[in-house]
Amino acid sequence: MTTESNFATLRQGLQLGCAALVLAAAGLAAPAWAQDTTSIKVLNWQPGGPEYWIALVEAFEAENPDITVELETVPFDRYPEVQGPYITTRSGPDVMQNNSGLELYDRRSAYIELPPETLAAGKNLITYAGGCLNFDTTQPCYGLPFGYQGNVMYYNKAVLTQAGLNAESPPTTWEEMDAACEAVKAIGKTCLAHGMTGVFPAYWNFPEIARNFLTEDDMRAVLAGDLPWTDPKMTSILEAMASIGERGWINSNSPSISMLPDGADIFASGNAAFASTIIADAVNWQAFGAALGDENVGAMRWPVLVADAPLANSFSGTESAVFGVSSWTNKQDAALKFVEFIAGTENGNLLTSLGGGIALNNNVDPSLIPESQALAQIQEIIKTPTLHAGILLSGQEADALARGWQEVTLGRLSVPDWAARMQVALEESPGKN
Amino acid sequence: MNTSDIAAPALIKAGRRKRGSTRTKIVLILALVLPGLLLAILFKLVPLVRAFWLSLMQTRGFEEPSFAWFANYQSMFRDPTFLQSFQNGATVFLTLPVWVVLPLIVALLLFQRTPGWKLFRAVYFVPYMIAPVVVGIMFRQILAPEGPLNAMLIGVGLAPLAIEWLNGPTSALFSLTAVALWAFFGLGVLTYLSGLATVSQDVMEAARLDGAGFWRVLVSIAVPLIKPVIGYWTVLCMSSMLIWMFPLIYALTRGGPGSSTMLPEYLVFITTFEFLNRGKGAAIGMALFVFAALVSAFVVRRMYLDGKGERS
Repeated sequence: MTTESNFATLRQGLQLGCAALVLAAAGLAAPAWAQDTTSIKVLNWQPGGPEYWIALVEAFEAENPDITVELETVPFDRYPEVQGPYITTRSGPDVMQNNSGLELYDRRSAYIELPPETLAAGKNLITYAGGCLNFDTTQPCYGLPFGYQGNVMYYNKAVLTQAGLNAESPPTTWEEMDAACEAVKAIGKTCLAHGMTGVFPAYWNFPEIARNFLTEDDMRAVLAGDLPWTDPKMTSILEAMASIGERGWINSNSPSISMLPDGADIFASGNAAFASTIIADAVNWQAFGAALGDENVGAMRWPVLVADAPLANSFSGTESAVFGVSSWTNKQDAALKFVEFIAGTENGNLLTSLGGGIALNNNVDPSLIPESQALAQIQEIIKTPTLHAGILLSGQEADALARGWQEVTLGRLSVPDWAARMQVALEESPGKN
Repeated sequence: MNTSDIAAPALIKAGRRKRGSTRTKIVLILALVLPGLLLAILFKLVPLVRAFWLSLMQTRGFEEPSFAWFANYQSMFRDPTFLQSFQNGATVFLTLPVWVVLPLIVALLLFQRTPGWKLFRAVYFVPYMIAPVVVGIMFRQILAPEGPLNAMLIGVGLAPLAIEWLNGPTSALFSLTAVALWAFFGLGVLTYLSGLATVSQDVMEAARLDGAGFWRVLVSIAVPLIKPVIGYWTVLCMSSMLIWMFPLIYALTRGGPGSSTMLPEYLVFITTFEFLNRGKGAAIGMALFVFAALVSAFVVRRMYLDGKGERS
């Protein structure tokens, strides 16, 4: 072996040694860096869409460089099945999303009671009562919201015109809706695009009919489990729901298809005149506008069934999803910061500009609100809010309502039998007894 | 010194050796059996006992459970959805002969090297490789009123058969079962083929030379020779009908319309995770376990008796 080769070997050895030292130093430094960053997992159904959520996470992480967010996104209609096992096993995400009202109350043991300093972030929200026990902000609150939610009936102006109807004057009563549906069916299209599988279609449409028969006090009685389903007011709601199929408003396969995406697809493909769905989040004016052209999409309140009902012309509104901190997390501070951010103005601006949502935050920049006739109509409709009867139903009631509606529509169940099943479901509801 | 004096130490040594070898055998047996036994206790018996214990508890949402004796079982038997789920299960059970016989016929056709048998062997097994949830989503499209199945039926002049497959109480359950059979069938073909591989080709050839047709070979040769395999497949089908349908129900019908495709396993799931009633969910789970165990025990016992009869 020559002297040069000895030196070369030595040099290589030194280089390797240096590289090893650098790697070792990096290795030692990594845990120190990792300790400074807290990673939280957020279970959500991505209301507002992926673009908005990416921006939300980026904005939150920019404001809180010591916290990183990992999203666990689950489709809206499968959310309860994913969240249930987490809660049962008391493990999983640090922050969770739920619908406000009874869904949240039923799961309140899975959430921590929000401390006053976190609730202070809700001071600029129009309301956050749906995250608090019995819709009362003086009682324990488990989550903060960011958007407003409820149902409207979207209509396709081109289809209405094609059917010989005045697209600028959509039906306002059930009788007018009957006539409109006859005209729409005459041109071979579906009148009201609808899907009933899963709990949510019943859950969202029930309040639109319930407003014709219930007062707000009645709704509070529903929440408390004090209004039996055999009460004439409640059976009237069920009868009206059952009659939608008999009147021929909906597609015949409705009992076996889902509203999202199947029913919404019928409307978005231009094959239906109306679709009843939510004002924000999953499928809304924005998605329909993109599919049919903004100029063809309108939004209206559900037609009135009982003209002199005090709430018939109201909007069944609720805080959309609320976000709370799971009771098992050991990253409570970081999780609380995320919940505060959710209710903040910055997130309100993002929801308005990117998510197509209707923010609850009072300080949202009005110039960010997109230009859309349907959205402008929605902004008018929501000005007369009332309680949302759907979020007052227990899991058992919502399931019995959905399955009963399917069977009644197929002619296999009578309304009195449906009401009896609903009463059994009420009696089996843990949160109402 | 007599011979017995000489033999005694040797006998003692032999006895010791025998005892030693018996002890070694016992240790070996324990070493082989214990891990399996422990695993069975840990992962089968303990969860079962825990589930039974939970079924005796009153659980209200996520509140602390309280002991309630058999209240969940009483509530379960009062629940019409529970009764309907078992009724639906029994209806699905009636299709068992199709589940058992159809793959056997196809397997025999493949075994007889019917033209294209290699391709068909792969084709039949492919559905089993697709995740059941994907199968469910796929068939939601195929069975839709304006879906490809109805389009095909209308195209070939069978418009009256183009029904709303998932809308009717009978048609929805029938569709669900048919989709499950479609997905599971390939495994049956493969199971039977492995059983038929043990049958001598000479026996088949001799039968054919004697003039036996396909059905004669099936009934008189194949079925008697692979009876244990048929028994095994029957048990597998029965348990699958009760505990394997969940992903299909989930993706295809959610138990609807109404409760027409509600099977006990799906009811366990929604009772536990949607209604947050873990106690009642466990009670339904126990009922399902007993039901599945009884029917499986019946078939297994039948197989055992058949086997014993053949040996004697």
